[in-house]
Amino acid sequence: MTRLSGGLIDRSRSLSFTFDGRTFSGHPGDTLASALLANNVRLMGRSFKYHRPRGLIAAGSEEPNALVELRSGARLEPNTRATVAELYDGLSARSQNRIGSLSFDLLAMNDLLSPFFAAGFYYKTFMWPRAFWEKLYEPAIRRAAGLGSLSMQADPDAYDKGFLHCDLLVIGGGAAGLAAALTAARSGAQVILADEDFRLGGRLLAETHLLGDEPATEWVAGVEEELASLPNLRIMRRTTVFGAFDHGIYGAVERVADHLPEPGGKPRQTLWRITAKRAVLAAGAIERHIPFANNDRPGIMLAGAMRAFANRWAVSPAERVAIFTNNDDGHRTAIDLAAKGIEIAGVIDSRTDAKALGDYPIFAGGLVSNAKGRLGLTKIEVRQNGRSQWIDCGALGISGGWNPNLHLASHHRGRPVWDETLQSFVPAKDGPPGLIAAGAANGQGSTAAALRSGAEAAAQALAELDLKAMMPELPQAEDAVSKPQALWHVPGKGRAWVDFQNDVTVKDIKLAHQENMRPVEHLKRWTTLGMATDQGKTANVTALAVMSELTGKSIPETGTTIFRPPYTGVSLSVLGGGNTAEHFRPRRLTPTHHWAKSQGAVFVEVGPWMRAQYFPRPGETHWRETVDREVLATRKGVGICDVTTLGKVDVQGADAGEFLNRLYCNGMKTLKVGMVRYGLMLREDGIAWDDGTCARLAEDHYVVTTTTAQAGPVYRHMEFARQCLWPDMDVQLISTTDAWAQIAVAGPNARRLLERIVDEGFNISNEAFPFMACASLTICGGLRARLFRISFSGELAYEVAVPARFGHALMQRLVKTGKDLGATPYGTEALGVMRIEKGHAAGNELNGQTSPQMLGMGRMVSTKKDSIGAVMSRREGLAAETRRLVGLQPVDPAQPVVAGAHLFTEGAAQSMATDQGWISSAGYSPHIGAHIGLGFLAHGDERIGEVITAANPLDGQQVALRVVSAHFVDPDGGRLRD
Amino acid sequence: MLIPHPLLGLRDAQEFTYLGDARLIERPDGMAEGAEAAFADYVYLRDNPAGVHRELWFHEQGDRSWLVVTRDTVTHEILGAELARDVALRGKGGAA
Amino acid sequence: MTDLTPITALGADKPAKQQFGPLRISENPAAALASLALRRGASRPMPMGLELPGPGKWAAGHGVAAFWTGPDQWMIEAENRAIEDFAADLTAHAAGCSITEQTDGWTVFEIVSESGDAPIRAMMEKLVNLDVAAFGPGSATRTGLHHMSVFLIRRSGDRLAIMTMRSTASELWHVLEETAKGLG
Repeated sequence: MTRLSGGLIDRSRSLSFTFDGRTFSGHPGDTLASALLANNVRLMGRSFKYHRPRGLIAAGSEEPNALVELRSGARLEPNTRATVAELYDGLSARSQNRIGSLSFDLLAMNDLLSPFFAAGFYYKTFMWPRAFWEKLYEPAIRRAAGLGSLSMQADPDAYDKGFLHCDLLVIGGGAAGLAAALTAARSGAQVILADEDFRLGGRLLAETHLLGDEPATEWVAGVEEELASLPNLRIMRRTTVFGAFDHGIYGAVERVADHLPEPGGKPRQTLWRITAKRAVLAAGAIERHIPFANNDRPGIMLAGAMRAFANRWAVSPAERVAIFTNNDDGHRTAIDLAAKGIEIAGVIDSRTDAKALGDYPIFAGGLVSNAKGRLGLTKIEVRQNGRSQWIDCGALGISGGWNPNLHLASHHRGRPVWDETLQSFVPAKDGPPGLIAAGAANGQGSTAAALRSGAEAAAQALAELDLKAMMPELPQAEDAVSKPQALWHVPGKGRAWVDFQNDVTVKDIKLAHQENMRPVEHLKRWTTLGMATDQGKTANVTALAVMSELTGKSIPETGTTIFRPPYTGVSLSVLGGGNTAEHFRPRRLTPTHHWAKSQGAVFVEVGPWMRAQYFPRPGETHWRETVDREVLATRKGVGICDVTTLGKVDVQGADAGEFLNRLYCNGMKTLKVGMVRYGLMLREDGIAWDDGTCARLAEDHYVVTTTTAQAGPVYRHMEFARQCLWPDMDVQLISTTDAWAQIAVAGPNARRLLERIVDEGFNISNEAFPFMACASLTICGGLRARLFRISFSGELAYEVAVPARFGHALMQRLVKTGKDLGATPYGTEALGVMRIEKGHAAGNELNGQTSPQMLGMGRMVSTKKDSIGAVMSRREGLAAETRRLVGLQPVDPAQPVVAGAHLFTEGAAQSMATDQGWISSAGYSPHIGAHIGLGFLAHGDERIGEVITAANPLDGQQVALRVVSAHFVDPDGGRLRD
Repeated sequence: MLIPHPLLGLRDAQEFTYLGDARLIERPDGMAEGAEAAFADYVYLRDNPAGVHRELWFHEQGDRSWLVVTRDTVTHEILGAELARDVALRGKGGAA
Repeated sequence: MTDLTPITALGADKPAKQQFGPLRISENPAAALASLALRRGASRPMPMGLELPGPGKWAAGHGVAAFWTGPDQWMIEAENRAIEDFAADLTAHAAGCSITEQTDGWTVFEIVSESGDAPIRAMMEKLVNLDVAAFGPGSATRTGLHHMSVFLIRRSGDRLAIMTMRSTASELWHVLEETAKGLG
């Protein structure tokens, strides 16, 4: 078939494309669908369940059938609607959901088995035997059903996101949307006009009516020019507003580069979060079809779509077409196509008083009851006055009336309201607040009504924002109100499709009714109606009407159907907004990151932080070898580790001490200036939450630390306490985590190393600067620093803090200066081993299930003061808890200790009832020469020396462990104080 | 959602962290008689209304203020917001 | 003077600087930062003669600048004083306040447009969920940006500063780079 005359395509240029390997050509302005039609391709897909041959139904984003795999290789995108795929030179597409070729699909045998695939078949067929589900049913269903396939390669393109704010968001750029945008923009409001199409105009592009005395496209061009010149209006083409969210927030996807072969440095799509004070929904309407037997033959489509293809794209699906309608609008298609030289086989109008509005045969009171042509329509059966006849035609346009496209208006459970005159649902008034429907989306579908209602909706929105509207002069336009006759399906034998994408027929709805699945919600799930990717845009209302016929209730009594976001499919790539791979979430780098990298460190993610896990040396073949060396070097000489990631909070004010007294379960007010104290924070329910140190730098100035993982939540909690619980206290808080690089220096040579960097005048001797002392000082020739004598490893240890920019250089200095002292950098792995050896609780022990008593810190909870969690930590349930933190060591040193294993009395039956506790942390201790662990054991403090069993049923392990003190290293703490 | 911050105007809820019932401001005195029963109520008992609810939101990606936001949990309509500190001071009979 | 050599937040010895079309993005490691919080009942000081701005605002003058960070709390900026103990100096100029050194807590990227405010606005739209039209010169706020916590300061129509925690500076630089390229 050659192109018709006219159309909004650029015939001066040709674009080459392929479909299922065959090469075709089209023009700029074409969609893949229009270009395929122009090349006589009508068969475009296979249906979901029965694999029936299918062609186009629609011309827009509501298309249920023509889903293709677009592009190839890593850029392959399945389930793309051919009707919205903008043609570009080199486009390649493949049909999907078939085995074999599109015209001979092996899975079409499903169609012959259809009696088994009726409503509810998933529920009825695949229920038993249970074991068959995973191995047989699911793979078979996944293979046979389902739509396109994925490339299984990473998406090579970039995506991004953005945020827009406006007074008025206009959704849809047709007659109503343009009138709304013009009204608001002329009035000075900040306006966004978004349309999913690549060309503004909406339905105006598909019709031949004049606006005033000019063609609609001329009027659109004029408005577009004015809008483009206004700085307060932003036009967003190729942008689908897919969801309405709370308080005027709308989600939109802009297809920035989908119409190009490759994005060429631009993001392919952008996810916009639009915050709009008001919005006008001008999304138009979607035409209804009328089910009859075999109504899914390729070539049977919506009459309005047929008209759009002819007028906008200058193509017709066939040389000879027929129309089946229940209203005047169907006749327009006949008139427009006839004007383009297409032969009209007849207009079959269900209304007995219907008259031809042009020069074509009319079948008043007629119905189309069947169709032939498996791979392309050849004949239709027409019933009229009790007689039936077969009429030759290559395509049939169906017009069953129009459903307002109220998708977004129902996103906040705004239940659509039935309009008896229009025979359709219109948007409810209780939809998303601030969203005003206009034009065909509101049932005001004539061009004149759409223009008027668009302008009025904008004026109403502006008035609500206290802005004065400047009403534009609107052109004269057609004002025909099409009142369809109620005709929801043609009764008869054979399968009549209601939902094309999910293969739901009138018969399925009858079966659902018979099986008492009558409420709409049940109907949907039993038949899968409306549950495909198109959410039943062309199906739901028809299905409701069929159900209402069966129940004898009215349509609104039968129910309504609402929609959820997204309006059309949104890719996960764009929802990710470009945050992928190593940028999936921001990584925090320590001040010594670049230094550690230069030393060949292996890194580990600790929450958002990247930390050096260990520093392998040449010749070391296993991480354990490295970690053992780092541990031993620290315990023998001196180890150095970046501990910046611990949260640091600066606490100042006259009441700082009292404030901390209430936050920590132990006392902080009595801490002397220049000293540090370990602190344990509880949750208000008495469970241990976080620990750290408090250093008192001045009477009214503390610096507290939190664990790395809880830095954010602890800060939030501290602000809660300050603002909500004790607002009358004089306390100021601010995080200083990133400001200071903090480096731990631990081991018997720690002091000797630090002596070499502290500036003259600072006395670092054990007497002047004892265990748990802190000070502000200068190091390395005048650099301001803070020094804390605290230890996580159990060795003589310090932490030194300097402004973060100097962390790198300080680390280099310590390693270099301490060479003769055995200075060895160590990572988080060695840090972890040493803290287990010392019996220090960490995240595994502070896991939200342990009380201070269990941690052996029950007596730390002061009874002399009120603090968060203190009261509840003493409640009966927690006081009666007997499990205590203990050390665990295998009787046979060759045996492993596995964290997570459960503890049992030796020889006892192993069950929930006899469970004695669990192992929280485990690792190899080079100091002990065996694996060791920390765990919580019932009456653990009274069972030192006992041999118990650690059971790890996952691996079938049973290991005999001896209960020991949790302090494997230096139990009396002499090293710390040396 | 948009939260009407009393100092900064409408801000997207993405900037905030939610805590829950604003009654958490009314923490019992841990040294008082019957503290354990009072804390059991405070920690575990919450009203869960379908309707108007006063709740705590933290402006984490903002000015670090805790707010008491009055929200209809059915419609998500927000009826007001004030600094939690002002609410707490009022509760203590002090000046805001 | 210490003999230790500082590095920038991006791990280099010189601050980053790059041109993307009309936008020049550069790291500013020279500004000293300190937070200032009023003690209970204290009256609002005028540190170094600067009047502290109200909520959502930034003000500059007398060699320093300040922006509001929370109730009774500000961040003070002092150009070219990063190497000094600016917090100590500020403490002397702000009696009755709690001062905390923040110089290395934050990394400042200055974005300057060579063609008016449009490129700055386009950049902001891609980065932060703020009403750009309402964020004119003299505005400052904290907000989220690609899951980071940042301060934004609109120093003028064609100048925007974005501050992020030092540990996320590399991540922010990457985001700025990608975003600026995507605008081209």
